Amino acid sequence: MKLFGSKSSCHTPAADVKCGAKKVALVGNPNVGKSVLFNALTGSYVTVSNYPGTSVEVARGTAVIEGENFEIIDTPGMYSLLPMTEEERVARRIILDEPLDVIIHVVDARNLERMLTMTLQLLETGKPVILVVNIMDEAERLGISLDIPLLRQRLGIPVVGAAVGKKRGVAEIRESLVRTREASRTLPPYSKRLETDIAEITGLLQSRFSLAAKAVALLLLQRDQEMTDMVRAAEGEGFAVVEAKIKDRAYARRESFHLDLSLERKKIAEMLLAGVFHAPDKRRVLLSEQLSRWTVQPWTGVPLLLFVLYFGLYEFVGVFGAGTLVNFLEGTVFEGHFNPWIIGVVKSLIPWPVWQELFVGEYGIITLGVRYAVAIILPIVATFFLFFSVLEDSGYFPRLALLVDRLFKKIGLSGRAVIPMVLGFGCDTMATMVTRTLETVRERIIATLLLALAIPCSAQLGVIMALLSQEPGALLVWVGCLILVFLLVGVLAARLIPGETPMFYMELPPLRLPQLGNILTKTYTRMQWYFVEILPLFLLISVLLWIGKITFFFEKMSSWMAPVMASLGLPRETAVAFIFGFFRRDYGAAGLYDLHTKGLLNPRQLTVAAVTLTLFLPCVAQFLVVKKERGMKVAAAIGIFVSSFAFGTGYLLNKLLLATRFL
Amino acid sequence: MRCDFCGYEFQEEEGNRGCKSCPVSAGCRMVKCPRCNYEIPPEPRWIGRLKKLFNK
Repeated sequence: MKLFGSKSSCHTPAADVKCGAKKVALVGNPNVGKSVLFNALTGSYVTVSNYPGTSVEVARGTAVIEGENFEIIDTPGMYSLLPMTEEERVARRIILDEPLDVIIHVVDARNLERMLTMTLQLLETGKPVILVVNIMDEAERLGISLDIPLLRQRLGIPVVGAAVGKKRGVAEIRESLVRTREASRTLPPYSKRLETDIAEITGLLQSRFSLAAKAVALLLLQRDQEMTDMVRAAEGEGFAVVEAKIKDRAYARRESFHLDLSLERKKIAEMLLAGVFHAPDKRRVLLSEQLSRWTVQPWTGVPLLLFVLYFGLYEFVGVFGAGTLVNFLEGTVFEGHFNPWIIGVVKSLIPWPVWQELFVGEYGIITLGVRYAVAIILPIVATFFLFFSVLEDSGYFPRLALLVDRLFKKIGLSGRAVIPMVLGFGCDTMATMVTRTLETVRERIIATLLLALAIPCSAQLGVIMALLSQEPGALLVWVGCLILVFLLVGVLAARLIPGETPMFYMELPPLRLPQLGNILTKTYTRMQWYFVEILPLFLLISVLLWIGKITFFFEKMSSWMAPVMASLGLPRETAVAFIFGFFRRDYGAAGLYDLHTKGLLNPRQLTVAAVTLTLFLPCVAQFLVVKKERGMKVAAAIGIFVSSFAFGTGYLLNKLLLATRFL
Repeated sequence: MRCDFCGYEFQEEEGNRGCKSCPVSAGCRMVKCPRCNYEIPPEPRWIGRLKKLFNK
């Protein structure tokens, strides 16, 4: 890390940076429109690269304004100069290390008071700052008015009111970039006591830093490790005196320095905004804001979640997609017209029964593979992805993360684990890969286990819902079993695997009305991906199944698994669905669909088979990813545990249903 | 593009793609948000072209 101020260098990874270009950093909280401003200021030639030594990506672009060259850096979101996350650390390192000519601080006009405290911190660095009060349009819609010229006068820096998404204020920002040269302003002082503390530290510092001495002193007093190391290295032996003074101040304040400083900054922000920020006495609460609050509060959020699941999953995906659409495609189109026709064609072209079997037999490529993919799975995933895209585009998922955060903490996860869990309902294999983004190894293992065990993928979920929606009692038992298993295994895993659950916090993006264009685009892209991926696999599996049939492998497997099936109270033919399920989860569920259609399963057997199959081993692809991500030992342990647990649960459920005669 | 989970706005090129260890990555074009890793389906080119055409 660079300690001392330095002149602009051309040796940066930026895109086509001209020598002597002014370096500008866009800084601010997440979701305040930094990237939109970055795009508005820079051209299309932008480089994105990991910040050295981190996995955080930083975008750099160039701009020419009134003949002057600029290099613009889009920094990761940060809440304060005192970093907590890796993203914040990177953003601060840019402020510390890069020879910045200007910092553009982008804030949300609706939350100006809260965000202005960071403007104060940026001003304390001694670097020239431009304040962009963004999202003015939304603030005005809420009845908020801002006196920008007065704020400009009080801060002594350029302040621009903007709505950069609508290009409002962009010209003014460009102009300010050209005009801003020196940092010349006087900030209201802190309390006498705090100013004395700061002065005592700054008086001891001998070196010159890239930040102004006041900012350095404040970070030292907040016990910032990175800054402490920097100052120790720069000051050498003299640091002992500085360190003693910091300890002395910390002792005097009984470690309440952070709180004192935050309160003082808040007070200064309030003072600066007096007469600048006018919000209506009774702020009009928009319907979207009210709905947003309801979604995250347990008493309203849980009923809302159940409402969404009932109408979205049960009625739309289960009854309409997996019922009406599948009945039409599978029953009318395939069984009624397509299959009889194609069987006739193949039999007239191929005289050998074994080869006829390959294409149009019981496990034929066309009569099984294509039928499963097109007539059963496709309508189900299409309706599921449509439902998923509506929720996604509305901004509901981050609220779900907040809603379940407390519950997830009990099972060793944080709300952040909602991302892989939600994605698991699409495809468990991809979701298992996403578990790598969780903060601790403990969280990753628990999430991987729960994905393998209790989260059915979209197609499996749809087919099972189609099967069970005809028997509401069976559906209730299936849902109850999965929730119980999810919580029970989660709680046990959290107790057995040592470690702490990380904190989870996130800035909520606004809840909005889903856009039809976005929904259709996302549904189409997901369906296209799904179809491209599954069709070749379904055809390949059909060939494997055909080989299994002509070599009597399935008969042997069915005989071998017959005692296991019998212990679950299931007919021996069900073994085939479990074998299918290991190839692909949805293929197994579709196999169950076939058995039910043939009348081989009563409601109790259907429920036991559906619960066991859902909990059963993940498909081959997911198993490979678990092995890759968590190692062979963990993968094997999860595989053995999941299989035993699935059959154990199936066995107990069967006994329970027989004893209670519930189904 | 905008992340549907955390709202982060980023260029499509910034997102992570085609995770090498994923066995289904050959058919997967999902773009992962650089901030939270949520997966977002990219807009197909033909839809982008169609939008441009209508915007003209």
